[in-house]
Amino acid sequence: MDRSQIAKWLKSPAEMAHKYSLHAVYFCTGCGIIEIPPVITTRWDAERFGIKAVATPRHGNLFLITGYVSLKTLKAIIRTYEQMPDPKYTVAFGSCPINGGMYWDSYNTIKHLDKYLPVDGWIAGCMPRPEAIFIGVTHLWTLIDKGKADGYIRYRKNYAAYRGNQEMLFGDLGWPPLYPSDRPGGEAS
Amino acid sequence: MIASLRKGLESTFKGTEVRLLEERRMSVSAPKDSIPVVLRHLKENGLDHLALISCVDWQETGTLEVVYILSAYMQNDIDYTLDQKLHVFLRTHVPRENPELQSVIGVFANAEPYEREIHELFGVRFVGHPRLIPLFLEREYEIPPFRKDFDTRKYAEETFDAIPRVDK
Repeated sequence: MDRSQIAKWLKSPAEMAHKYSLHAVYFCTGCGIIEIPPVITTRWDAERFGIKAVATPRHGNLFLITGYVSLKTLKAIIRTYEQMPDPKYTVAFGSCPINGGMYWDSYNTIKHLDKYLPVDGWIAGCMPRPEAIFIGVTHLWTLIDKGKADGYIRYRKNYAAYRGNQEMLFGDLGWPPLYPSDRPGGEAS
Repeated sequence: MIASLRKGLESTFKGTEVRLLEERRMSVSAPKDSIPVVLRHLKENGLDHLALISCVDWQETGTLEVVYILSAYMQNDIDYTLDQKLHVFLRTHVPRENPELQSVIGVFANAEPYEREIHELFGVRFVGHPRLIPLFLEREYEIPPFRKDFDTRKYAEETFDAIPRVDK
């Protein structure tokens, strides 16, 4: 263990444990998912960084959006994201979730992912190399240390706006709001 | 096989045109009402695999061209001679305004998703299809999105760019 981090471990053990055991939801979106099998297996071995792929969103706290997001996928992404326990971190992977990428004028691909879900980090590229994932993850560690990876807090705070944007696309989403505005504690701004 | 198929098609069905595009690639044009019977005839003559149904939008002539791509299912089997290895493109034209075509599910059951796909992307209505509901699309479009007069750039600007950003 890194001796310089002992103070941090003693100060907030839960935060450090979250930071070093990122469980990535194995959710396949677009073309970037082809980068994930080499990343989590022996060639690049993401477990060195504490990243593991888990099968269900209820076990995960890292959500990698690996490529272009079509409307139907966005619906599944929102459902998956809302099922993940707090704290959860979203990292958009590739240029398509950033601004549409090569699908910037598509009839069926949403262009900016951060209009519908809070995103903590972006990895640019088409496609990014597996090394870029690890650089992204070490940046995410820094953000968690500084308390800036607050996507799940922003989602709760601005839930009305996010839900409004989602409903602008889909009309009726088909499931009730995650944070109903009339319930105490789930206040919407 | 190519010669006998050609002869059989041209003598049995009025209005079919047979062309050989390349070696072992045959293009058959048929009027739209005779599509199910021509398909059945092809199926009985060894072309028992409907690989794909595709569609082309011809704006100049005002028609949509529906293409059925057929081959022999076991064509890579060792028993098949070179002569039997054949791809057939069955083409037909329907008008762009109110396009209607007879469904071919009775001949090839696997046409069901292909017909749904062409219905949602090109707007061709398949008469006799049991459930002509969208296959991939989540939203409703005024013009089917794969038609040439569908302006994707304008649509993306009006739909996806119009959604406001969420302030931090």
